[in-house]
Amino acid sequence: MTDLLVKNAYVIDPLSGIRGEIMDIAIRDGKIVEDTGSGAPVIDAGGCLTFPGGIDSHSHVCGTKVNFGRYMSPEDMRAGRTARKGVMRVTSGYSVPTTFGNSYRYSTMGYTTVLEGAMAPLEARHTHEEFTATPHQDMLANTLFDGNWAIMEAVRDKDVKRAAAIVAWTLDAVKGFAIKLTNPGGTEAWGWGKDVHSVRDEVPYFGVTPAEIIETMIRANELLNLPHSVHIHCNNLGVPGNYQTTLDTIDLAPDLNRNRQSLYLTHVQFHSYGGSTWRDISSKSEDIARAVNSRPQVAIDMGQIMFGRTTTMTADGPMEWKLYMLHHNKWSNHDVELETGSGIIPVYYGRKSLVNCVMWAIGLELALLINDPWQCMLATDNPNGAPFVKYPEIIALLMSSRYRDIERSAIDPRTEHYVPLFAIDRELDWYDIAVMTRAAQAKALGIERIGKGHLAEGAEADIAIYPLKPDELDPAADYQQVMAGFAKTRYTIKRGRVVARNGEVVVEGANSTIWSRADVPPEYDLNRDAEFVKKFEQYYTVRMRNYPVQDIYLPRGYFISTEASL
Amino acid sequence: MRVILNTGRTIRQGSYVERKTSADYMEEAASLNMNRMDMFELAVEDGNHIRVRSDHGEVVMKARAVEGLIRGQVFVCLGPYANHLVGPETHGTGMPDFKTTQVTLEPTTDPVPTIRELMERCGGVGYED
Amino acid sequence: MKIEDVVCTFCGCLCDDLVVEVENNRVCSVENGCTLANEKFMRDHRLKNPIRRDGNGWKAVSYDEAIRETAEILLDADRPLLYGWSGTHGEAQSVGVHLAELIGGVIDNTSTVCHGPSIMAIQEVGHPGCTLGQVKNRADVIVYWGANPIDAHPRHMSRYTTYADGFFIENAFRDRKVIVADVRQTESSAIADEFLKIDRGGDYAALSALRAIVRGKGDLIPSRVAGVTREQLFRVAEICMKAKFGAIFFGLGLTMSPGKYKNIRNAIELTQELNRHTKFTISPMRGHWNVYGSNEVFTWITGYPYAIDFARGIAFYNPGETTSVDILMRGECDACLVVASDPGAHFPRACAEHLARIPTVQIDPHVNATTHLATLQIPVAVTGIDAEGTAYRMDGVPIRARKLFTGSYPNDQEILEKIFARVKEAKRS
Ligand code: SF4
Ligand SMILES: [Zn+2]
Repeated sequence: MTDLLVKNAYVIDPLSGIRGEIMDIAIRDGKIVEDTGSGAPVIDAGGCLTFPGGIDSHSHVCGTKVNFGRYMSPEDMRAGRTARKGVMRVTSGYSVPTTFGNSYRYSTMGYTTVLEGAMAPLEARHTHEEFTATPHQDMLANTLFDGNWAIMEAVRDKDVKRAAAIVAWTLDAVKGFAIKLTNPGGTEAWGWGKDVHSVRDEVPYFGVTPAEIIETMIRANELLNLPHSVHIHCNNLGVPGNYQTTLDTIDLAPDLNRNRQSLYLTHVQFHSYGGSTWRDISSKSEDIARAVNSRPQVAIDMGQIMFGRTTTMTADGPMEWKLYMLHHNKWSNHDVELETGSGIIPVYYGRKSLVNCVMWAIGLELALLINDPWQCMLATDNPNGAPFVKYPEIIALLMSSRYRDIERSAIDPRTEHYVPLFAIDRELDWYDIAVMTRAAQAKALGIERIGKGHLAEGAEADIAIYPLKPDELDPAADYQQVMAGFAKTRYTIKRGRVVARNGEVVVEGANSTIWSRADVPPEYDLNRDAEFVKKFEQYYTVRMRNYPVQDIYLPRGYFISTEASL
Repeated sequence: MRVILNTGRTIRQGSYVERKTSADYMEEAASLNMNRMDMFELAVEDGNHIRVRSDHGEVVMKARAVEGLIRGQVFVCLGPYANHLVGPETHGTGMPDFKTTQVTLEPTTDPVPTIRELMERCGGVGYED
Repeated sequence: MKIEDVVCTFCGCLCDDLVVEVENNRVCSVENGCTLANEKFMRDHRLKNPIRRDGNGWKAVSYDEAIRETAEILLDADRPLLYGWSGTHGEAQSVGVHLAELIGGVIDNTSTVCHGPSIMAIQEVGHPGCTLGQVKNRADVIVYWGANPIDAHPRHMSRYTTYADGFFIENAFRDRKVIVADVRQTESSAIADEFLKIDRGGDYAALSALRAIVRGKGDLIPSRVAGVTREQLFRVAEICMKAKFGAIFFGLGLTMSPGKYKNIRNAIELTQELNRHTKFTISPMRGHWNVYGSNEVFTWITGYPYAIDFARGIAFYNPGETTSVDILMRGECDACLVVASDPGAHFPRACAEHLARIPTVQIDPHVNATTHLATLQIPVAVTGIDAEGTAYRMDGVPIRARKLFTGSYPNDQEILEKIFARVKEAKRS
């Protein structure tokens, strides 16, 4: 039995309805309890801001394409290196840090759970290997189905139940957490160097449309009762005028789930562009926010960009090709047979680029124009919009219109003609930030049920204590302190153990991997489906028996079990 | 005769690579594959021994006539014999010039050394399996 | 006992469809494998026990002694080199990297003398690639450049390219064009629809000519480039541009020839150029079954695929300086740990001489050329036969190699973990 008592904490715990109270938190064996035994070690939080551990609901930190981002970028590796020190291993990398680099940096910012935004099923084993080497965070993996041949055939046959069965089989095989659709249909078209350009475009050969894929998968997801909803990266990412595709996608989402959204749209900043070329690109954040505000069945994350150098990486192969044609820097691509694609290019977002300034404004606008912070989560699509170490700056921008005005004077002066940002005076408060960085994520991912993202009795004792005293600070004026405070916790506690302190990592760590297992009736078990097995053996280059990720890759695996309604 | 030494994988080299003490491996690794006309000019036949010299070393190998090599080029599968001749300079790339070593050929009756002998010449102590 | 879907731990094709029969801790038959696989599984011959150099001879030592002595050698070294890694599983490679970090050594893998230059080129211009199944199911044009798959990757053509029927290619042999570019005729060039026979050292020029034609600058091309006629270059460029899906595979014929990484860069840029017309991918023919795994593991831990120097506490990478051949040539390292490879056979003689001068420990199942140079050798289980673990195929697909029976040898990971623990313990006190 290990106890820990956190005293004098200024707690904001939105899922428990706590909006800022000085209180004590008792911990036993990694969980929040009513009381500790006497003599438990005490941490005096001294009235500092205390949140449940941070949760990133969309980040690229582990797996084939992330590692390729490192592999191809020694210049990025050199840009962020630290030496071995105490329990900390050597780290490298700025925008695509090594696994330990990611883990330590998230940890010192108070993040204890991270969802990897894109895992190709065929390469899942790789993602899990890197999860194990990211020891301070519990990890989850979005599993890519956007170009899955079996799924597209089920969509073509209008067979939602078969689609559900394929998802259930795949998540179980690859230990995935949720359904991810990255440019649905587009990644298959990219197998021929093509793309789809609206939700009604047909995918070559398969004859299905993105809209049909999306609709089928939303229903399949709910048939399986999965914790998270379908998680989508819409078609046409980064294309001027793409906001219409985004609105069309939002329109496809029915309201099927009482506890959470039915469709999660990721990095919506990249999907909120007006205009028709790079010359007249403008912000359509108001249209998008209006759509989100009127539909409780969707939730989004910002996909904020921040100025500076970073690396873009996504399963959206055709999009990376388009970016390459713009930047002419190095370009990597990696199609994954029968499943999906991916691409990587380095980018630099400049304050002198009008396009980049518009993009920067749109992300902030989404967060400020969407009324309910539970529907808009803070993320940069790390590292696509910016490395996650920029989160504190984003928080400061959202909490201080003064800071936004200062930035305004540093960016391209034409920006204000294309964006509404500087007319918005909303300033988010501590509670909003707590929602947007952990509580909303827990709810959206459906992991509050396993004790994530809140501090109620029985919850996981994942806690972040920031050196910020809400009673003594005016975030609108003291944005510098806000930034510094969110960059380094005083304490990060993971499962009841202090893992980082004042920016220093103090334990090696041992994380869990969380995945979803939907039990389906035997007639939906694809292992017994002769047709599925035959096609698998014929077209994959890996035998079906060698495809599933063995349990040994999840040393502390934890699955959320559901009963499918099939 | 001056020629260019090229090296690479062969299926026989791959087959025996995990049994480097075997006669099969030695047979393959010590074969100097040549164009027939070059062999004719040197007055050697299949199986005759040839002393191969480069700026970096010398080693005796066994001539073998093959199709597909142009005159002036010889091919030896990658392994300790070829590497007795290859220089260590990498021109800042980490990679030696494995495919373009200038060598001279001269017929000899000296024996082809075993791998163990080659390694002993490098300062090692032979191990008998 | 018959075991199905066995993974062949020989070459980068990492075929996973072997059927192997095991009796009394020995493989007695192999189905589906190529000659290389048959040799590997059927004629497996191991070093019996750890051995130690003793004056001008050798003597047997226990595992414990061998491990203790290895730890001492590494602790005693100022500039240790940890080399090899492509012939073992990822879990062992990972321990190796942590060990190198702990002792402030240099860790390098066999890419240093195979596709190291490809990695350097990728770091300049990127890598448009794909998994092998994408090629099998779609590609109607295949290019092998400076590669001889029939000898080096015998089932590459039958599983993934020339002879592999796929979803959109129902009759591969009829519907697929194969182009081979090489400086010499090989068995692979013999079956090509087009064989570009290139003058030695002429790869860069031939690639540039193709790039020019694809760019629409064909009028610049003289009547012959690097031994290839203008007509053939145009013909080949045309085939590529008309492809629905083209896939280039390149081998050591490009990485080891004059120009080294610049050749690869040119080939990648040709691929990027072709993507303006159609879909094209390019992939290195990685040699050892898990050399790509060593790149992956090194990268997620250190940020770099090979040639990592921990001497200054941070991870430092500079191929040409921190690569094994250069370090050995300069006589810089004062101890070497060789794991799952054979630098005695595959490095230039000058490097082998240095290995013989310094304490060299080899962890390897077999007696090989390095054995004779070493001070100590520790035999281990063979991954894919009596040890299991993760491997990365040449296209990055991770596959778990099976263990076919439990033998008496410890595996690489166990030995390395014991060495690590000893070194760590000594460093603490
Ligand atoms: S091609 Fe390579 S992996 Fe496949 S069976 Fe032959 S040696 Fe093994
Ligand atoms: Zn993403």
